[in-house]
Amino acid sequence: MIAAGLHDTVHGAQEAFRAALQALSRPGRPQPLGREIAGVRLGGAMAHLLLTLCDEDTPVWWQPPDAQLQQWLRFHTGARVAGSAAEAAFAVVTDPDHLPALEAFAAGTLAQPERSCTLLVEVPSLQGGEPVLAHGPGIAGRQELAIAGLPHGFWAQWQVNHAAFPQGVDVFFTCGAQLVGLPRTARVARPAEV
Amino acid sequence: MTDLQDNEARRRWLAVLARAPREALERAHQGLAAPAEAVRRPETGMVMLRGRVGGTGDAFNLGEASVTRCAMQVGEHLGVGYTLGRDKRKAELIALFDALLQDRARQPVLISEVIEPLAQAQAAAREAQARAVAASRVDFFTLVRGEA
Repeated sequence: MIAAGLHDTVHGAQEAFRAALQALSRPGRPQPLGREIAGVRLGGAMAHLLLTLCDEDTPVWWQPPDAQLQQWLRFHTGARVAGSAAEAAFAVVTDPDHLPALEAFAAGTLAQPERSCTLLVEVPSLQGGEPVLAHGPGIAGRQELAIAGLPHGFWAQWQVNHAAFPQGVDVFFTCGAQLVGLPRTARVARPAEV
Repeated sequence: MTDLQDNEARRRWLAVLARAPREALERAHQGLAAPAEAVRRPETGMVMLRGRVGGTGDAFNLGEASVTRCAMQVGEHLGVGYTLGRDKRKAELIALFDALLQDRARQPVLISEVIEPLAQAQAAAREAQARAVAASRVDFFTLVRGEA
């Protein structure tokens, strides 16, 4: 049984795309995005992002893999399942405890940095985690981030990811109907280091 | 029935439904109402029509045609509807019939009461057209030139 897609494909996708754009231009600031879709075992923000961003040219890697969700996304967008994390255009991580190292994903090349992977990570909460401070383009001063449920050492990996600019991955953290963007341009430090 | 025969039968009823006029489908659908959910609302797009030079030669793109498609879930069956043109309601009706036809309990009745009459009407229309065309048919041929 395949669940429904966007209720209004044109306006729904425009709205979600706008939210994604807004999230990446204001790193760390939560954006509201669609409600849950009946029959889809994903948060509303995650489901709307997937339906908006994926198409037949974007292999999607799933952690953990879920045949029903893969079939659902394939039906609505034509996106196939990526054989490995390295060849994915989008990575859907609903179990952030087992988030692979960021180097495992495509970081693009110097000539084509856009051929990198975008990670979509569903976290248990956008607050209450280890606090870090982000700064960089799109952030006036500093933006506090306290995303819960990230694996140990994630922010150390993020520093490496940021240092590889213009290569590197971008991340969307989702929690229910909320979305936080973390583009590779964001520099992140622990409060003690600032 | 094997899967292959199932596919063959489904292909046939989808072809018949796609060629049927919307009014006929609407009439046939009355009284068949079953709770249905749209998995993919009717949407119109384009497909590339391809042909072959002389029927068997190289493939070429003939042009694009608008196609409307829809997917409906009725009970446990997922019905799909594709039809030429931009008639959204017709695509929806085809998807509904496709879902209902996959239900083994309903299939024989629907085949004999909906699909067969439509198929016969379509065959009759095709034959009438073929007759009308055949009456004015001209065969062209070329005589071998005398150089050989």
